[in-house]
Amino acid sequence: MSFGIIPLTVTVLTLCFWLRSKRRAKRAEKRAAEIGADLLPPERQNKDRAFPDPEAEAVLAALSRNDWQPAAQALAAAGTDWERRSYLVGVIAARAAEEDAWLHAWQAARPDDPDAAVVHADAKVSLAWKIRGGAWAKDTSAEQFAGFLRVLREAREDFARAESLARPDDPTPYLLQIPLYMGLSAPHEALLGLWAQVTARAPYHYEAHWYALQYWSAKWCGSHDLARNFAAQAAATAPQGSLLTMFPLVSWYEHNDDEAPEEAYGWPEMRGMTEAALADVAMARPDHPRVAEVRHLLAYCLAKQGRHEVALEQFRLVDGYVGALPWRYYNDPAAIYCVVRGVSLTAVAAGTAK
Amino acid sequence: MGTTPRAVRALILLAGFYLVALVVLGVLVGADAAAWIWGPHLLALKVTVFSALLGLPVLRGLFALGTDTGDGPEALPVGEPDQPELWRAVRSLAERSGTRAPDEILLTGDVNAAVSEDARLLGLLPGRRRLYIGVPLLTGLSEPQLHSVIAHELGHYGNADTRLAGITRRGHDCVLRTVESFQEQERKRIGKERSRQEKADAKRVRKGRKARGVDTGRTGLRYRMMAKPFQAYARFYLRATNSVNRQQELAADRMAVRVAGRDATASALREIAVLDAAHDFYRSRYALLGVEAGLLPPRGEVVGGLRHLLADPGRRSDLAEMRGELPDDEESPYDSHPPVAERVRLIEAQPDDGLGAAPARPALALLRDTGRVLVELEDVLLTPEARAMRRVEWPELAHRGMYARAAAAAEELRTALAAAGIAPGSPTGELTALLDSADAGRLWPVAGHLPKSPEAARATGRAAREFLRPALEAGTHRLAELALVETRGAYWELSWSERTRLRLPRAADPGATEEAVTAAVRALLADVPDTAPLRTLLAG
Repeated sequence: MSFGIIPLTVTVLTLCFWLRSKRRAKRAEKRAAEIGADLLPPERQNKDRAFPDPEAEAVLAALSRNDWQPAAQALAAAGTDWERRSYLVGVIAARAAEEDAWLHAWQAARPDDPDAAVVHADAKVSLAWKIRGGAWAKDTSAEQFAGFLRVLREAREDFARAESLARPDDPTPYLLQIPLYMGLSAPHEALLGLWAQVTARAPYHYEAHWYALQYWSAKWCGSHDLARNFAAQAAATAPQGSLLTMFPLVSWYEHNDDEAPEEAYGWPEMRGMTEAALADVAMARPDHPRVAEVRHLLAYCLAKQGRHEVALEQFRLVDGYVGALPWRYYNDPAAIYCVVRGVSLTAVAAGTAK
Repeated sequence: MGTTPRAVRALILLAGFYLVALVVLGVLVGADAAAWIWGPHLLALKVTVFSALLGLPVLRGLFALGTDTGDGPEALPVGEPDQPELWRAVRSLAERSGTRAPDEILLTGDVNAAVSEDARLLGLLPGRRRLYIGVPLLTGLSEPQLHSVIAHELGHYGNADTRLAGITRRGHDCVLRTVESFQEQERKRIGKERSRQEKADAKRVRKGRKARGVDTGRTGLRYRMMAKPFQAYARFYLRATNSVNRQQELAADRMAVRVAGRDATASALREIAVLDAAHDFYRSRYALLGVEAGLLPPRGEVVGGLRHLLADPGRRSDLAEMRGELPDDEESPYDSHPPVAERVRLIEAQPDDGLGAAPARPALALLRDTGRVLVELEDVLLTPEARAMRRVEWPELAHRGMYARAAAAAEELRTALAAAGIAPGSPTGELTALLDSADAGRLWPVAGHLPKSPEAARATGRAAREFLRPALEAGTHRLAELALVETRGAYWELSWSERTRLRLPRAADPGATEEAVTAAVRALLADVPDTAPLRTLLAG
């Protein structure tokens, strides 16, 4: 009988711990529901955008009615805000890559409009990528490649025209050509020539760096080292608030996320890059069209590092929009976003639920 | 190691091949004997038949039994009475090369010359020697260049300083022949098995059952098994004798230099590389241009027409450019030839023999009654179906051949037009209807009836149009050409110096019509379709 007491004690103790942890989990869950009450479920996340942009929405709504005037007005309003200008050109050109009757109307009404010209050229690049598809080269058909290259070559002429019509200090027609150079596998010297044109006009342009990083990455025309060095140098020389600290994170994510162990996100190099990006977003102007996408990747990296409180702050600032890295690399961006956000939320709730 | 010890080694290795063959035959005979002594008669019979099947290729390969079954290239034998100059030249070359003259000379349609010999007993006993000469070589080389090529080929069959070389060369041929004989048997077996299975499948399908699919994996396996020791030995033998073979190629080159001169030999090697490319080009763009339309050039011109291309001043300068650069051929372990570039370098490094590359007659001058020979050669080379084709003069061939190709290329678009409700009729009517559709804003919906890949079918909007654009552009271009022939008497103009292009009567220069069609089709497919240029072109 004295031997029977031991298993009994163990069973009772286990039961107690189990009940306690269960209760705790329940409390944490309740707490998570409380502090996460303002966060949206996957089905209410906008997959097309990284942040709310009523102006862009209005422009696109008008384009659906073949009304190009709001698009022209938005570009005129952006003026010399080169970040906003290239962003808007991208939004409008993506629509022009689908259907372009309104663009013909715009060009007919204003034959030498630099805005229409640069949209026309950039739409060709988007169109080329739609033909190619996003698959690896081996899964892309010869017909797709042929169409991709043909349309990109056409776009070269369109960009030449856009350059000649643009203001001399406008970097837009130059920086939007970087994907074209990438698709046509232009040699490094050629890209450096184009890059000089871009940086002479806008040395710390976010989207220009985004495209250039793609060019220098291993999957296009560069290598892991070239991409990392490019990103590190851009981040080190740019003034705070320009958001170029994003690119070491992007480069690291693109080259390592699949292979690196989970804890790699906590290594000092990665932590340092995350800190720099946090300081950068804090200094960025609030209407910078790219600050939201930096917050998206930051939130992911912070969650991976176990810094859930800070991660949750970033999640809150961008919630409702998931059209950004890393989510848009997944088939269901909203689902993966909510899973990672959920991890941070639960951890924060467990920490404050005692 | 000098040439002779190398050759002795090659001979020993060759004897080893003989040994392998004897062992294999011995095993087969032993199996037969054992089956007859100990097994039931039925089994013994099976084993005997089986071993006879397997043993036959070995015997055939070794002793060259029954190899004289026309496995050489299709060729026209030319006798000494008919072609005394050619024979005299060859005999004199053989004499100066220190080897026996061939017993037969045969003409072929390839850019190649070769000597073959039906040697027996692994090449130890000499056999009937044949010299094959490609008529394109006669067309494209000068007389000294041809001499050099023939001297090289004869040089393989033993020359004064390497007596054994002839034996190893013949042995080399024997080994290859044995291996090939096995592969051929295997192919035949697989072919038979495939047709048997396909027939069986067809029967099953007719009876409403599911086809099994064809599997020939096991047939031919026996032959593969049998060929294995030979192939393994052949690989070993060929690799081991590679250096001696290369030496012999170079020795044959030296022989050619001695007989025909340094410059003729080097220039012949350069010229053959060029001729090869020119000949391929000639066949696809000229000789066989009208085959789809059931047309051939006049008799004797299928092979002989190459001379028009080679004589054209424009082409001559293109070819001269090609002569400057030598091809880098990839090296195969079985190919005994060192790369051409290396051979030319070695030859050109030799001291000047003073013979130079003096202006000389074209090699074709060696042939008597060239026209008749070309006609006879064609009869040997062409298949019965090709012989039955209509013969037309070159200009007509160019026009009708190109017309047939344009009609075939326009077919896809015409089918699409029919599917879109544009009734098939004349090319002009269809093109006009297509232009009317474009003016009504229906160009792309009509083009949507063209065949699509799965990716193209999934695409929407502009991307879908871009997928259709190449086929629409090419189809419209062809349809416009057909329409211009129909309504404005345009014709494809033969040119030996340029592409054969469509030309309107009274068009200023040969390229103008084609350029006008291209530009007009472009205008039709522009962002905002413009049908005016095509309409103007059609109206004249």
